[in-house]
Amino acid sequence: MSGRNAQPLIQAENIIKTYGAMNALNGVSLDIYQGDVVLIVGPSGSGKSTFLRCLNLLEVPTSGHIYFEGTDITDKKVDINAHRQKMGMVFQLFHLFPHMSVMKNLTLAPMKLQGKSREEAEEQAMKLLERVGLKDRADAYPDQLSGGQKQRIAIVRALCMNPDVMLFDEPTSALDPEMVGEVLNVMRELAEEHMTMVVVTHEMGFAREVASRVIFMDQGSIIEENEPKEFFDHPKSERLKNFLSKVL
Amino acid sequence: MFEKFAKSFYLNFIKEERWRYIADGLLVTLEVTFFACLIGICLGFLVAIIRSTYDKTRKLKIANAICRVYLTVIRGTPVVVQLLIIYFVVFGSVDINKVLVAIIAFGINSGAYVAEIVRSGIMSVPEGQAEAGRSLGFNYVQTMRYIVMPQAFKNVLPALGNEFIVLLKETSVSGYIALQDLTKGGDIIRSRTFASMPLLAVALIYLCMVMLFQFFVTRLERRLHRSER
Repeated sequence: MSGRNAQPLIQAENIIKTYGAMNALNGVSLDIYQGDVVLIVGPSGSGKSTFLRCLNLLEVPTSGHIYFEGTDITDKKVDINAHRQKMGMVFQLFHLFPHMSVMKNLTLAPMKLQGKSREEAEEQAMKLLERVGLKDRADAYPDQLSGGQKQRIAIVRALCMNPDVMLFDEPTSALDPEMVGEVLNVMRELAEEHMTMVVVTHEMGFAREVASRVIFMDQGSIIEENEPKEFFDHPKSERLKNFLSKVL
Repeated sequence: MFEKFAKSFYLNFIKEERWRYIADGLLVTLEVTFFACLIGICLGFLVAIIRSTYDKTRKLKIANAICRVYLTVIRGTPVVVQLLIIYFVVFGSVDINKVLVAIIAFGINSGAYVAEIVRSGIMSVPEGQAEAGRSLGFNYVQTMRYIVMPQAFKNVLPALGNEFIVLLKETSVSGYIALQDLTKGGDIIRSRTFASMPLLAVALIYLCMVMLFQFFVTRLERRLHRSER
């Protein structure tokens, strides 16, 4: 990756998250650089989704700091909304706005938050829709779309804000198997365009193929981190070996 | 048969211009219902938003406590008693228009029920919707306005429609403060003619108003559900 010696785009520093007596994250630190495609894998309940949601403060860490483009966004005085505009997020269950057409879903945030005109916002949305092959669905409502279509629209919705990083929270886990490919293809293209991405996933094949780094989390900690070939072919820790033997 | 009906109709409505009791009463009923409905909606949405904001963020603690007292008191006492208290106790020493008293009393009463209906609507919108809004960079208020409330409103429209049908009919107790609404108007005619026709006519007018209102609510519902084909 280029820019390794530059400042990280996102820097998570010793993130701890507890829910009552339960520790979801036990001090996780991670640097994400411009153009990185970081895939986070691990058993369910390992804290990987919680960690991802901490990056844009959908979960507020119990302690620790998140620096995004040099700003400590865990600081209460920081306007988190302004920073979230630069961090696109894609959810497992899509969360498209069901009371709006696809086009409104895509143009709402750019128009209200970036002050774009309707024409500008729609033009950009159309371009992106064309790229994901859904130009003809602009006037549809979310309930009329298949799961794979919904998730591609959700990715476009995040992209319409021109984010500096895209966070994906198990984007294919709620999809029927035959629809996983179309979503992964869109993500693959994004990765090829050097979009900075953090992806929590169970798709090991995808991780091996597109990741610049793969991270294994278990019980609220990062256990192992490596480039994909090493990660999958020569896992070091027992827990990762064990995990890979179950999922591969 | 027809002659008898015509005769009774003449006695109850035409003679001494008695229809005016019905017509004037109807105007009062509509006026009270309309403005009470407006107050109910404003108050109800305000209380619902305060309550659910507190539930989600633990902010607005004092406002939430006030809202809870309001809901408990209003929903725990009969509307007639509330009407009487507002007329004879709250405004007891001031000369105030009875229509205004009724509007305030029914508005405050309706607000409590609207609040709980709207709050249930807000809670029915999945948390992920708000998260998606926040993740795009919308603040809490924008997320409520553009994303949560439109869906909440759609979900509770049938219940809200029902609440306003109840409100329309409840204003018929306005006679307790000697306000001449539709019901009171019909009753005045009855007390002069001792006939059944005035009250039956009043019932028919209420029924027609409710059916008309229901017709519009159903149309609005259908329009809002366009997105779910």
